[in-house]
Parts: sequence; C-alpha cells; structure tokens
Amino acid sequence: MKIAVCIKRVPDMESRFKIAASGTAVDEAGLKFDISDFDAYAVEVALQINEKAGSGETTVICLGPDVVQETIRKALSMGAERGIQLKADSVPADSLAIAKALAAELKEGGYELILFGKHSLDAMTGGAGTMAAELLGLPCLTAASKLEFIDGKAVARRELEGAAELLEFPLPAVVTIDEGIARPRYPSLKGIMAAKKKPLDVKPAQLGEVRVTVEKMGMPADRPPGRIIGTGPDAVPELIRLLQTEAKVL
Amino acid sequence: MSAERMIFVFVLVLAAGFFSLNVQRLVGYLRVGKPEGRLDHPWQRAWNVLRIAIAQEKIFRDPVAGPMHAGIFWGFLVLTAGTVELIVQGIVPGFSYAHLLPHALYVVYSFSQDAFALLVLAAVGFAFFRRLVLHPRRLDGDHTHHGDAYFILGMIGALMVTLLAMNAFLGVADPAALGHEKLVSRALAVLLGGVSPATARAVSHVNWWLHVLLVLFFLNYLPYSKHLHVVTSLFNVFFSNTSGPGQKGVMRAMDLEADVEQFGASDVAQLTWKNLLDGYSCTECGRCTAACPANITGKLLSPRKIVINTRQRLMESVGGLGVLEDDDRGPVAAAGRHLLDDYITEDELWACTSCRACVQECPVSIDQLDIINEMRRHLVLSESRFPQELQPAFESMERNGSPWAFRPADRAQWAEGLGVPTMAEAFAQGRRPQVLFWVGCMGSFDDRAKKTTIAFARILQACGIDFAILGQEETCHGDPARRMGNEYLYQMLAKNAIETLDRYQVRTIVTSCPHCFHQIGNEFPQLGGLYEVIHHSTFIERLLEENRIPLRTDSGRELTVAYHDSCYLGRYNDVYDAPRETLKRALPIMKLVEPVRHRDRGLCCGAGGGRMWMEESTGKRINAERTEELLATGADTIAVACPFCMTMMNDSVKSRAGSVDVVDIAEVVAERLQTS
Amino acid sequence: MPNILAVAETRGGELRKVALEAVTAARALADAAGGGEVHALVFGPPGTGGKTEPLAQHGADKVLVCEHAAYGRSDAESMSATIAARAAGFAVVLLSASAQGKDLAPRVSAKLNAPLLSDCLAVRLSDGSVVVTHPTYTGKVIATLKATPTPVVVSIRPNAVTPAAHAKPLSTETIAPAADPAASRVKVTEVVVGSGAKLDLGEAPVIISGGRGLKEAANFKLVEDLADAFGNAAVGATRAVTDDGWRPHSDQIGQTGRLVSPDLYVAVGISGAIQHLAGMRTSKTIVAINKDAEAPIFKVADYGIVGDALEIVPVFTAAVRAAKQSH
Repeated sequence: MKIAVCIKRVPDMESRFKIAASGTAVDEAGLKFDISDFDAYAVEVALQINEKAGSGETTVICLGPDVVQETIRKALSMGAERGIQLKADSVPADSLAIAKALAAELKEGGYELILFGKHSLDAMTGGAGTMAAELLGLPCLTAASKLEFIDGKAVARRELEGAAELLEFPLPAVVTIDEGIARPRYPSLKGIMAAKKKPLDVKPAQLGEVRVTVEKMGMPADRPPGRIIGTGPDAVPELIRLLQTEAKVL
Repeated sequence: MSAERMIFVFVLVLAAGFFSLNVQRLVGYLRVGKPEGRLDHPWQRAWNVLRIAIAQEKIFRDPVAGPMHAGIFWGFLVLTAGTVELIVQGIVPGFSYAHLLPHALYVVYSFSQDAFALLVLAAVGFAFFRRLVLHPRRLDGDHTHHGDAYFILGMIGALMVTLLAMNAFLGVADPAALGHEKLVSRALAVLLGGVSPATARAVSHVNWWLHVLLVLFFLNYLPYSKHLHVVTSLFNVFFSNTSGPGQKGVMRAMDLEADVEQFGASDVAQLTWKNLLDGYSCTECGRCTAACPANITGKLLSPRKIVINTRQRLMESVGGLGVLEDDDRGPVAAAGRHLLDDYITEDELWACTSCRACVQECPVSIDQLDIINEMRRHLVLSESRFPQELQPAFESMERNGSPWAFRPADRAQWAEGLGVPTMAEAFAQGRRPQVLFWVGCMGSFDDRAKKTTIAFARILQACGIDFAILGQEETCHGDPARRMGNEYLYQMLAKNAIETLDRYQVRTIVTSCPHCFHQIGNEFPQLGGLYEVIHHSTFIERLLEENRIPLRTDSGRELTVAYHDSCYLGRYNDVYDAPRETLKRALPIMKLVEPVRHRDRGLCCGAGGGRMWMEESTGKRINAERTEELLATGADTIAVACPFCMTMMNDSVKSRAGSVDVVDIAEVVAERLQTS
Repeated sequence: MPNILAVAETRGGELRKVALEAVTAARALADAAGGGEVHALVFGPPGTGGKTEPLAQHGADKVLVCEHAAYGRSDAESMSATIAARAAGFAVVLLSASAQGKDLAPRVSAKLNAPLLSDCLAVRLSDGSVVVTHPTYTGKVIATLKATPTPVVVSIRPNAVTPAAHAKPLSTETIAPAADPAASRVKVTEVVVGSGAKLDLGEAPVIISGGRGLKEAANFKLVEDLADAFGNAAVGATRAVTDDGWRPHSDQIGQTGRLVSPDLYVAVGISGAIQHLAGMRTSKTIVAINKDAEAPIFKVADYGIVGDALEIVPVFTAAVRAAKQSH
C-alpha cells in the first residue's frame, strides 16, 4: 500500500524548557529533538501494515527548516522508503496553514492511506491531519488506537471517554493515530546506515497566509511542592477536598 | 625388512596420513571464521600454556576431578615418550632409549612408564566410577556424549592394560629383559608366572601390537570426539586472551565505519577462527554451566551449550566430520540454517549476566562470553531484535544520557549543600582538582545508591582529597548499551564522555561503581580515553593504610558481615581483598564470614550484562539464590561495593530478613568517621 | 458585538457536562466583549430538543436543535457540515475539546477556512482578535495565541471552565443536518462500553497502584475497590509485587513495565524505587499513601498521607464513592 505519514520534529519532552529571549518561543539551546511520539506511532503503523501485506511504500513528509531532515532520516532508518521535506523557515502556529501546505503535497502523491499523529507534542493543536483530510476531500478518522485491514476493508478503533468505537471506512483515507498501537521500533544500525542512501526530496512549503500567531510563551503557574497532608484515615477528607478543588481530578 | 615391519610401517604411514588429513581439514574449517591476530605477547601466552594447560591450574579448582584428570593428563604426557619409543621400535627393531640416555636417567624414565601406567589405570577406574556411580550433575545436559566419554576412558584403560601386559609378559618370557625399576610389571609378571615363556613372549608381542594399534586408532579417533581437546587445548590456551595478555573482560573493539553487510555474529562465519577453535576444544566438562547463575536458577542458558552449538553448527555448515555434529535431531539440511535461532535462541543470549563465571572456570580457556556478546551485537545492530524493556533504556541513554528516565539537570542533586565542587566550578576558579569522582547514573539518581555517593564524598572530604565531580556534565559512559549489544549507542556515549573528561584534562578517576570502573578504566582506551581509574574500595583501602581517614577509635559494633563479591570488581578486575581489608580496618571487632561461593567463585547478583533493565520471568530469581546463600552465613550485615549489587540484594534481603542490613563499604567507613 | 456559536455535546441524547462548559465560556466571551448573542447548537436523537433547558440556564440566547436518529453518537462528517453551514454571522465557533470536539473542530475550521485555536484554557476577545491560552510541550509551557476572525474556531479543554448559571429564556429552533449522516463515509460498526471492561493502564485517567506495603496479595482487593469507586480507574502494581506473583506482569508500572501519565496516580503502599518512579513520574497529580514518612514516593507526590494503607484506603474509597455520587 502506498502510505504517507506526516511527521513533526519536536524536542524531547523530558527536558526542562526555558523561554527564548523573544518571549514567543521555547529556547532550543541544548534540546534533543526527535519525531513527535504520536507521529512515530503512525510511522510504525505504516511499516507494520506494509510488512504484513508483504509490499508497499511508506513516504514520510515533514514541514520545516533543513534541520528536519535529521528527523526524516530517523523515520527512514525505521524503514520508511522515502522522505519529503516541505521547506519553511519555521513551523507556524497556524495549523490550517500547515494543513494547506501538506494537502498541496499529498494531493499529487496518489496515497491510499495518509497517517498523522493525533497531535504533536509541542504545539498540541491536533488539527493539521483532520484539516488536510477535509481539504483533500478524503474521509478522516481521528485518534485511532487500532488500525487494521480485514478482507480488504479498513477497520479502526477509537477511544472515547469511558467507551470505544469500532469503525469501518473506505480508502483512500486520512487517519490520525493515538496511543495503544505497538511501540515504534528501535532503528537497527543497519537501518541507520541504509537511511543515509534513501531518497529525501526538498520542496518549498506552500503555506499561504498565517493567521495564528504566538503572543507569548510562559511557564505554567508553579505546582505547589508536594506535601504530606496528614496521617492516618483522618487525613482522607482533606485529600478529597484537595483532589476536588485544587487538582480537579475528582 | 621383515614382513611384520613392513606391515607396521604401512599402518603407521596410513594412520599418520589419515590423521594429518583430518588435522588439515579441521584447520581449514577454522577459516570459515573471520581472521584475527593472536600472536601478540608470545611469552605471556606461553606462560599461560604452562600454567593452565600443563600445570592444570584451573582443572584443580575441582578437588575431586582435578587430581583425577591431572593424573590422566600428566600420565599421558609422560607415557607419550614411551609411545614414541615403541613406534620407533616398530621401524627399528630393538630400539630403546637405553641406547641414548645415561643409565640413571633411563632407569627413571623406565620406572616412570610403569608407575604412570598404573596411576593412569587407577585414575581411569575412578573416572568410570565417578561417571557411572557418583554421576555428577554437570556431566549431564546439553546433549553431552556419555558414550564418547566411556569409549575414551575405555581406550585409555586398554592402552594402560596392553602396556602393562606387554611388559609383564615380557618379564615372564625373559626376566632379564625387564629392568628392576619396572616394579609394577615385574609384580604382574610374578602373578603370571604360570604361563610358558614361549606363550608369554607371543602374548607380549601381541600386546605390543595392540598397544601401538590402539595408539594409532586413538589418534585418528580424536577428530571425531570431544577428546580432540587433547590436541587443541594447548593451542587454545595459547591463543586465548581470557587470562591475559591485556585486560580481562574487555569487549571486542568494533569499527562501525566499516562498510559491512552485518554487525556482530549470527552464524559461524561471523565469529573468528578463535571462537571456532574454542568449539573444538570443549571437553563438555560442564564446569562453566555449573557456575552460570542463569543456568543454576533454571534459565535455558548454558555456556557449554553455546560452545557445543558453535562446533556443531560449524560442522554442519562445512558438511564435516561425523560424531561431533551428531545430536538427536536427526539429519538436518544445512542450507538456510544459522547458529542464531536454529541452535542458540534469543532467550539464552539475553539471560546472560556477563558475570564471567563460565570463562573463569573453563580449564581450556574458552571464551563463552565472547560468542554471547557478538551474537547480542548482531541482534541489536543488525536486526533491532531485543527484549522490549531495553528500548526505553536505549532511548533514555540517547536522549537523557542516562539509562533511566531522569533529567540530566537533576544529576548532582545529591551534592546540594555538601560543598562538593564541580569541575566547571573549579576550573572557573583556576583550580585543577587532582581526582575526579565519577558518580555514575545509579549513584546520581537512585535513592539508595545516593547514600553511598554521599558517604564516599564525605570520606574524600574528611581526608582532604582535592577532588571534584562533573555534576550535570556527567553522562552515562554507555557501558549498559555496550553490554546489551548496542555498540553504536555505546560509542556515541563513550566518545561524548571522553570528550568531557579530556576537556577537563582528567587524569585520575575514582568511582564507587564497578561497571563505571571497568568501562572507563579498561574499555575507554579502545576509543582513546586514557585515565587511571580506581575503584572506591581500593582507594579507601589505600587511605586506610596510610592512616589518612580519621576514624573513631572505639571498636565499633560487633557485626557479623558477609561481603558479596561484585563480578565486575572481582572476576573482571581481581579486586577481592580491598573491600575485605576496608571492612576489617573500619570495624575492628567485626566477624567476616564468607558465603560458600565467594571470591572468584562468587555468585552474581543478577544485574550485570544489561539484565538490570530486563524482566526475569523464568526459574528462580538470581538475586534470591544469592541472597539465600548470603543469609545462610548467619551474617547480620551484607556488605557490597557496587550499586547494582546493592539494589539486587536490598530488594531480596528485605523481603526475606528485614533485620539484615545491606550496606556499601563506603557507608561502613563513613559511619565510622570522626564527627568532630 | 460578536456573536458566538457554541456546540453543545450530547451522548445518547443527554447533554454532557462539557456542553455546559462550552455555553458558559461562550457567554463569558460575548459578555466581556460588550454583549452579543450566544447560540448553542445541539445534535441528538429525536427528543433531544426537550432536554435543552440547561443550555439556556447557562446563557444560550438561542438553542439550535438538530435531531437525527443517528445522533445518539457523533457523526463527524454531517455534524461538521452542519456547524459550518450555520456559522455565518458568528465571530467565534466554540466547541469543547472533548474527543468529539477534537474531531469536529478541525473539520469546521477547514470548511470555513477559519483559523483554529484548540484545547484552550481560557479565551478572550481583544481588539477584534481572539486570544487564548493553550498548554504546549505536554503542558510544560503555556502559549498565548492570537487569531483574527472571521470566524475563529476555538475548542476549550474539558474541566478548564466551570459551568456558571446565567439564565436566559429558552428559545429553540429546529434545524436539519446539512448533510445526511447516512452518507458519511466513516461508519461506526460497534460501540464498546468501557465500564466492566478492564481499562488499559495507558488510557486510564486514574490509576490506583499497589506495592509491598499492602503486605499480601489478598489486600489488593482494597486497591481494586478504590479503582472501582473512581469508576474510570485502572489498577497498577510495582515490580516487587508482580515478581512475587500478586499481580500479573502486565500490571507492572515502572522502568521495565508500563510508563503511564494519568491525570491521577494513587500510590498505595509503594516506597518509590527509582524504577517505579521512572514509570509514573509524569502523572498530573500524584497521591501517596505509605507508612514511612521518609519513603521516596513522598518526594514526587503532590499529596501524601502517612499511615497504614490497610486502614486508610477503605476510608478513602468510601469518601470517593460519596464524592462521585454527589457530582
């Protein structure tokens, strides 16, 4: 199957982040970058689908400046066959603009299946994939936790709050990928070596007008340091109160 | 020339020819493996041969089988001189060493033949008894060939019997022909006195023939039997690196730039000729497997099997010699099969804790661990096939510089408020600290291990040592990745660490983790990192010896302490005494007790070889096995010198005997520091 | 004066709490900008129209009711088409960033060629632009984003807004779907209801985990009861107890087990060894119950109770049940 996977280069989320001098971005000094987690699941899904089918081609597409080529190579080292960089000076905060640029590229590709991660771990908008589907006029399934092809039909599962849906849909289609699917494979050294020779095309990104801008980036209010709120069963009422009002998880 | 002589020469030439053809073939098969140089340090290698092969140093580690085997082997050596004499006799009738040697020497030689024949016969008798009746466990398993063993013992016995019979009957036929020094044969001659001289002479002659034919037959049986070790073991010990030259336990260097089809070994062609020679030399004695912590606790891994499988697969791949590749699988097609998966399974390879007990025990210096490591490299680098628990560890090392998901920024948190300078701080103040205290990832992040780190830092401060830590600039040196087979990730991390160390012109490093100690001290040189690395037990012992540590003068608590030997400190680096001495000096009235398996026989805690990051789901837990052994000493305290051992022992001891403490030797010393 | 279109989510014909959140947010947004109309668009099966009173009570000037037999659950294609068709005249189209909302919002945005500001914590109008705050970098950085209408599609993170009463007289209008749900290309073949089925550790918003402090395997019942009281909780365990066979290995949370990031992690009788912490450290809220005040788990816990888990957990369970019932 001809599959396209749209990926994003994001920093390692375990890092301690600082705001850059501009105030509108995160300071990238010293950060390690990799494929955004859900996008990596999507790459893994594509690879597994084609492995199971015994044939197929996976193309990864990434929008951004030249540094994203490193990220595309990571996907190639996992096993994707081809990479495309949509070159742009930076990745805008406007997911519709991103979607338009991606749709323009995807339109010509003849892809049967187009995968995205359900959202990128940095911007966390979760829009580009579904928007691209809309722009391409393709059926779209968001946040799939399972994706299989049974008797020529595409079958997926999505998790709702407290329940799950099983769905069927025709191809070509766009699917955004959630957790629950197998762990992205660790590239072998052989894969890393092979990736260096795989084709990586660079094309300009047709972003168009960018209508969402970052006013400011800031740190969230300091989480109060953990505390022992009491001893024994008597502390329970206070715990309930805190969980309800402060943590808001109850 | 008489007809008999002609026949003998003919048989001799045939036997010798056949044997040398087989030798050529076997040597040729070694070329299936990759080349490697093993001729460095020839004198040290020769010394190893003398010590291990000839003097049977490792064989004697078994107090029962040791003398038995030494008896047979030394007997073989001595009797070989006699065998040569007999064969020359076949070509030149009437030949005897008496014509060449001064009389006194000849008498000694002649007696030795007689005496050793009896000795070897007795040893063979005991060997039969041991194998049949005592039936030691380690002689079973891994498709070992009991039949082969009995046949060999039988032949050796027959050789001794024919030799003694030859001389005894000669003594009956012509007493003057049998020297007085041949006490045994003469005694036997007395017993056989009833036989007529003519018959006796004939029987003696028949035994001569039998003996010589047996020798030639035995010689040619060797390539088809595990007894091949008789020929190969001396070479194997010579070419082996397991007892030096060079540092023990250092994994092979790997050139990742080389444009190779695959990395590591999945089949015999990717092993080296030395690995294949190891395959020839295995006697199936099972000492390695009997010492393997994985095997002891019920895992599939058996170091002996690894070696036997290597030999079997080699024979299969070349369509080779008979008995050696026989096993009860029946005829198999060689094409499309590999050592990996068809013989040795992944589970076996991942069960290894790299404790080196197998290598320590092997009497013919086989390096089982080398094969395991090369196959792990293949699994990870070529196929990305490994236990899934390792992936988070790999990814974390890549991203965070630590095999656990802890933030690099948190690394020096233990040092807060302790006044421990970092290299960066020292350099900024124009200082060049003499010693770098390499803390390691466990010591930096693990709550229990941090206590050891703090204890050692306090000791260093109390002695006024001019030291610093790398603090947040410290990253993992990659040893876990290397042990797990991920050479690529390892080299990335190691080179990074070397760069940092060199930037601060570090010369001397002290560390409380044996894995860090071994990696930085012994393996970093492969990548150009040259530092003097000292383990904290050695460092503390030196300080104690120099009386530089201000200890309290009271006699301390009356503890019964069992010290658990760390594999990477002990078998890898021969550090056994420093921790013990440290304990004795720090706790003058302590009683030191040893578990049954201690020092170079110490049982692994189970965390090495990357297993700290893996699930243990088969059999008994290794740390449980070791804990029981340590607790059986009656100790109220278990002392360790490694944070991995600490974790493994702590978990297990706490669940069995809550009152027994597990402490690091640094903590013991720190607790005894004068507080003023 | 901007008008706001709020999408009020239902499930099985019943309004969800997030629907009230959306209307509340829309009302606040409109009022802060000087007043304007808030219309609430509700999809539901026939009969839903009669249940829309709460929307008016929370500030909807008008309720647009779109009923169809298929709307017992979400149908993204026809719903997004309908929303887009009704968006004319509104400055902001506001949805909840629930699973359904996250599916609908981008589609509406593309259909209207309108910028999307999703998963927001707060929304305001400023000089004609929409300004939101939105968690980024897995919540470690808060971004303030601006978009110029018209319109702008905004989705609000569930629980970020507390529904507030702002009574308006109920005025409903029935509308037809702009596209036939039957023509939707993605079809739901089955709905698997969650309760009763064991929640996966990776998905559960709440995880109750037990360790050695529970003393024996039988006491894990207390953990299970607590999970049950929460309703949407999964049960986890430490390596120590899975090794001892109290729980299956698949329940193990930690370095070599599952790495989890629930909204709430309750660690019962767990001391907090490095490997376990590595598995749950990123949980949003951590509660620890352990009898050792020095246990490492208390360093990462937001709230800790020192004491015997066997005594405390049953009390906690009862309290949670009571709290859930009154919600």
